[in-house]
Amino acid sequence: MLVDAIRAEGFRLTKNRTALFWSVVFVPLLSVALGALTSFVLKSGQTKLLEGAKSPELAEMMSRATLDLASAMVSAAGGLANPLVLLFVLIGAATLYAGDYRWETWRLISARNSRPNLILAKLTVVAVLALAAMAAMLVGSLVENLIRAGIFGRGLIFNLSGEQVGQFFALSGLSWLRIVQFTMVSVLAAVVTRSLLAALFVPLVIGVAQFFTPQMLGPMGVMPDAWLSILLNPGAAHDAIQATITRAPAAAALPAGLVLKAWTSLGLWTVVPLAGAVAWFQRQDLSKE
Amino acid sequence: MNAVIEIRDLTKTYGTVRALDGLSLSIPRGGVYGILGPNGAGKSTLFRILLGLIRPSDGTARVMGGAVGDIAAMRRMGSMIETPRYPPYMSARQVLEWLALSHGVGKTAEIPAWLDRVGLTEAADRRVRGFSVGMLQRLGVAAALMSKPDLVILDEPTSGMDPPGIQEMRALIRSLADDDGVTVILASHQLLEVQKICDRVAILNRGKLILEGAVSELTAAGGERLWLSVAQVEAALAVLGERGARDDDGVMAAIARDEAPALIRALVEQGVDITEARWVGTDLESIFMTETGAAEASRGEQTHAG
Repeated sequence: MLVDAIRAEGFRLTKNRTALFWSVVFVPLLSVALGALTSFVLKSGQTKLLEGAKSPELAEMMSRATLDLASAMVSAAGGLANPLVLLFVLIGAATLYAGDYRWETWRLISARNSRPNLILAKLTVVAVLALAAMAAMLVGSLVENLIRAGIFGRGLIFNLSGEQVGQFFALSGLSWLRIVQFTMVSVLAAVVTRSLLAALFVPLVIGVAQFFTPQMLGPMGVMPDAWLSILLNPGAAHDAIQATITRAPAAAALPAGLVLKAWTSLGLWTVVPLAGAVAWFQRQDLSKE
Repeated sequence: MNAVIEIRDLTKTYGTVRALDGLSLSIPRGGVYGILGPNGAGKSTLFRILLGLIRPSDGTARVMGGAVGDIAAMRRMGSMIETPRYPPYMSARQVLEWLALSHGVGKTAEIPAWLDRVGLTEAADRRVRGFSVGMLQRLGVAAALMSKPDLVILDEPTSGMDPPGIQEMRALIRSLADDDGVTVILASHQLLEVQKICDRVAILNRGKLILEGAVSELTAAGGERLWLSVAQVEAALAVLGERGARDDDGVMAAIARDEAPALIRALVEQGVDITEARWVGTDLESIFMTETGAAEASRGEQTHAG
């Protein structure tokens, strides 16, 4: 039953080229284009710098510099849940979550499957959509680095240590969870309001509000590492967990217990909106989708 | 189990409006069953409850032996209620493929045959955003039938169709019941259509059942009348007296069969030219108008008395 619903949702998404383009293809294309443009501009500046310095040592040093694609990919995995990706994956997610209200198609599919299955199928397909968007971003990052190497004439190496493999998968998994978590508010908004616009904008408004929670809570004496701060801001929770995975200098300064709070925050922001959406949908009259 | 639908004291209220008001109905297996009623009678509300789209305020409904929401029972039912809509970016073929997956049918090889059966082969790969209402209806019927259900619910299945399309749809519905053994429940405002293809009907008004029975019995109960096509309508009505009534380009005579020869002789003697004569039963339209009118009158009296 759930499998039927997942297959149907997946099929439907593959036919929605507009949603797929904006959710999966657009951001990597933009990244590659902007990256190439930036490289050209820097190359132009570098050439002038070298000409001005007339330093054969500097020129030799820069030409010897190599680009480690493995490190670049690990770094890219850490940035997969950036605001641009969140925004554009949300377009596809909102279309999936609210599409049956918008096109009045619940009546076609809801009689032959349980309502929780129908919502969980959408969630599963959004999770796969997030993976596809991340894969496209990684490919885009790879292409961007190759272009940069070509422009600067730098050599390419691929030095992947065991630790980097672990970091890559941990960061990718964390980014995936953050993207999926971000869309959970969208499914709740879609079910409660039956509106595609609400499914798109409610998570954005909440996301922006969460970004400013430290500034709002600070004057009230709530510290950034307090339970309240972390619970209200899953973005900060994601950043804290990411710092521990990359063992960034910031990780050493993290207060004890922060990671537990961060996982709790991400977990709650994933499960609670989903449970709310399922419970609401279970009792919802579909007299007018 | 003889009944495909069992409804007991079904009530649905929207605020102060009672869309269904203690409706009880048992729809037998087999044949074509018509649900009739004026706008606001509760037909669509009934269908939405049977499909599990809305919950009743009170009462129970069972479909194919299971409670509404029993997925195993619901999967034996196909439906098309109101004008169906689909994701606009999909073609007709893709819509059926999507619904086949959703319904767990998985027999996508049969999709061309269903498109052909509802006359959409040429439009199979066109996006549905450009479809007319009639084409959407055809696609909806194909979607409802694709899973080979035992029970099909069709709400206004010929709405928006051209006359040839209506005839094809009538033939399809009858063949489903006669050849495939499918029980078809349909709602329609076209009473002639209902009379032609339904075996039994239920008439609803303001959420209540006011009449139920076999079409043949209901129309026979009203008695036969003799319809005469005449050029001199006034002269004919004068001969018929209280037993006659004007009817389109002729008169309707409420007489027994053995009175017909004498009546025709009397009309001819009075100079009335009769070009056609035939016996007709009481049609469903007159039953419908009588019953819904009586229900309204009764309601009006009660309101007045209250």
